[in-house]
Amino acid sequence: MLPLSDILIWSFAGVLFGSLISWIPGFHIYNIIALLVAVFGVGEKMPVEAFPFFGLGAIVAYSYVSAISSVYFSVADESAVFLLFPTQRYLLLGRGHEAVLLYLIGAVSGTLILVLGMLFIFPKVLPPIYQATSPYITYFLTAIVLFMFMSEWPKEGDRGRTVKERLWLAWRQILGGILVFFISGILGFIVMNTSVLPTTSAYTRLTPMFIGFFGMSWVILNILSNPPMLPQKPEDMIESSIYNTLKASFGGALGGTIAAVYPIITGGMGALVAGHMTSQRGDDAFIISQGVNRVLYYVGAFSLLFLPNLRLTRGAGAWLVSSIYTPKSYSEYIAAIGVILLAAGISFLFTYALSVVIARSFNVMHIKKVSYFVAAVLVVISYLLTGWMGVVVLFVSTVIGLMAAAFNTRRSYCLGGLILPVLVSMTGHTGAFMHLLGLG
Amino acid sequence: MRGFTHYISGLAVATFFPSLVADIRMGILIPVIAAASAYFPDFVDFKFGKFFARRDYEIDPAPWDEKKHYAPKLVRIKDLSEKNRYQFFAIEGKVEEILTKGSGTISYEIIEKDGTVRTVKEEYNSIIFTLSDGTGKIVVDAFGDDYRFFEEEFGQIEEGKEILVFGYVDVDPDGSLRFVVSDAPHPQRIADTIAEAIETAYEEGEKIVKIHNIRLPGDVYRRFVVHLDPPKREVRVEMGPIVTPGGIAIGGEPPEYRKYGIAKVNVPFIKTYPKPTRIDSFSGPEIAFRRTKHRGKTVVKDRFLPWHHGFSHSMTMGVIIGIFVFLFAKLFGYSHATDLALASMIGQWLHVFEDQLGFMGSNLFPPLTKDVIPGFKLGESGSGLTNFSTAWLMIALMIWNFNRFTNPRPIPISDATLLLYLIWPSIIGFGIAIAKSFKLRREINELMDYYTNLEAFEEMEEVGGI
Repeated sequence: MLPLSDILIWSFAGVLFGSLISWIPGFHIYNIIALLVAVFGVGEKMPVEAFPFFGLGAIVAYSYVSAISSVYFSVADESAVFLLFPTQRYLLLGRGHEAVLLYLIGAVSGTLILVLGMLFIFPKVLPPIYQATSPYITYFLTAIVLFMFMSEWPKEGDRGRTVKERLWLAWRQILGGILVFFISGILGFIVMNTSVLPTTSAYTRLTPMFIGFFGMSWVILNILSNPPMLPQKPEDMIESSIYNTLKASFGGALGGTIAAVYPIITGGMGALVAGHMTSQRGDDAFIISQGVNRVLYYVGAFSLLFLPNLRLTRGAGAWLVSSIYTPKSYSEYIAAIGVILLAAGISFLFTYALSVVIARSFNVMHIKKVSYFVAAVLVVISYLLTGWMGVVVLFVSTVIGLMAAAFNTRRSYCLGGLILPVLVSMTGHTGAFMHLLGLG
Repeated sequence: MRGFTHYISGLAVATFFPSLVADIRMGILIPVIAAASAYFPDFVDFKFGKFFARRDYEIDPAPWDEKKHYAPKLVRIKDLSEKNRYQFFAIEGKVEEILTKGSGTISYEIIEKDGTVRTVKEEYNSIIFTLSDGTGKIVVDAFGDDYRFFEEEFGQIEEGKEILVFGYVDVDPDGSLRFVVSDAPHPQRIADTIAEAIETAYEEGEKIVKIHNIRLPGDVYRRFVVHLDPPKREVRVEMGPIVTPGGIAIGGEPPEYRKYGIAKVNVPFIKTYPKPTRIDSFSGPEIAFRRTKHRGKTVVKDRFLPWHHGFSHSMTMGVIIGIFVFLFAKLFGYSHATDLALASMIGQWLHVFEDQLGFMGSNLFPPLTKDVIPGFKLGESGSGLTNFSTAWLMIALMIWNFNRFTNPRPIPISDATLLLYLIWPSIIGFGIAIAKSFKLRREINELMDYYTNLEAFEEMEEVGGI
């Protein structure tokens, strides 16, 4: 294990790195770490044993600081699927800073739950529960996907003049969601199972697809919708209650833990399940629960890499890091808990300060200009990681992401890009599906 | 219960069948049908039944603009009529003539929280002018708080000025139309229509009212609350603040003088649920008013979402689902068709049972039974406590079953001990819910006794109807 001073230095470097890039709309920490590894490599400037702590610091920072882009710049990844719309409303009311504060309350709560869980619950409870349930993951995953389809709430239909018109208004949204899921799935299947992207991009081949689904599509929506840059109140005031905070923390922790422990189940899907289980209501509760959820989902999933008696690799960040070095001892596990607390403290202060600055100067730089810059950077990232074909995949997945918005359906249906090929593979039908698509 | 609670119950039921667990373990995913069957009643009701339901009265306080899908709808003056009284619209036109501009004192009644009515007198400023949009002209009236807003928005009003003004339509005693500047519809139309529906139901048997919600730009909603007050024989509608879909109020309370709509009802009616109906985001509700006997007296009784908890939520439907799943599975050569059919049927029955714990109840054995059997009133369908307790119980049962049916057992402790370790959160949750439900049930019983002994009911019988 590295000396404590080195762990502190590298984790601090991770927090700094994560904080500096995570507030930029459309940037995802996994993509940026992948880019770093691709461009600079690990092992020369940074010891391989330091990489997990650097990654942990950066991911903690991301789970906090990305609230800025979600709230002020309307871009978030899939795990913020519920967060997006309440925060947009807060922003339109000039209460963007309040939304950030609510999120931070959730993030701090999530950090405490995670740390307590890592200290007292995870080492003892997670291994047997995981062992008992892991053979049935495909069942859970299929069940969640089916529930997503079945539970889509028709947003229109009430005002149709005839039964036929009402049914059509309701079902065009539901059918649109199913279409988005399957088109995403076919794209994901092609990306995962063909040589459309270079083999040298083994760890980053899904990156352009996800940038398109969740990053680029929203950057383009920002450009098209040209949202008004309304003055924001920088005062430290929130409207919520202790009851709502506790309830939201519980729900967020539940969803985040499910997503962290089980593969393919993402933060958004976990939030959907937990939201129903705990019957959550209220924008404040939603935002708080998302803060909890994202910390548990991102940081919790990554932390499982450190748990010696479980050793689960969950999330793209963990896969990337584990390909270089996997922590092995309880000392590293305990050090990781310390790093989470330290990184969370720094990230909290950074997010808070940044939110105050942005709230005070919100209309200085228009989101449309920022979005043009980000769109260009996202194309460059895709090109550097996966070449020109990656840019083509980025284009196609962006169109699919925009389709989800056009159908007024759940953005999380784009996760079909990951879920469908994995389900096909888990059930042993990859060959048949390849044949069906005319690919083999 | 929420949809996922039912769904996960079906998932859990499947794990009680060792054959199905073995299949799931091998990657055969067909047992997920049991979960879909458990969710099926809500799926049918909310994706189909809701849209097929009859509507005898349709209340749309603020029709949507067809392009933007929110209110107010931009209308032409020639398209307005008495039928639009109190509805919220936008009109774009030119100020033709300023009729009066002045001030005075207005007096109006406001309703306190305890239901008492208080008269308020207030100074006001006002402007009345005619607006023309090429298709006709209408008198526009802004006064009180709305005048202040109007002045801020348009400044000095001059003849010939082009404006887009929003408000509700009113009808003068002489039958001519007037457009009252406001940021919400007037609630009187809602109250009048509901009162009319109750009275018609008393005469004809059953009337269903569809109440649309009020969606405004920015995905926010104007909340309004419908109080059915049987002792006073009143329908009171209170226009509330603008709220987000998450229910957070963001201001925009209407002024007191156009906040309330009160309509008297000339027949006895009772309300089965002791809370007012709140309408804001998502879609507006349907309420059925049915003539029925209440402890020997003819009254009109309300039923929320009449298309919900019908045949789809019956034990009979569970049997049909079981038979259908069995045939389907046999057709595709699934070797555990009987177990899957049983799991699907029990899953659907669990849904019915879980809903029966709430308020609405279901018609359990149609066609043998004709009417809804009241719920056990353990908690509301949206209660986080009962939903979580049930969902957690199902997760616990799944883990328990997975462990029981795996050799060697991943968690090597006795079944009873493991079950106890897993389900204690649900036991506590249900315990709290049961304790809370006693209070609520007592309140409802008191309310029903009150209705029964209400003098107005007796009086009605003596005179042979009002």
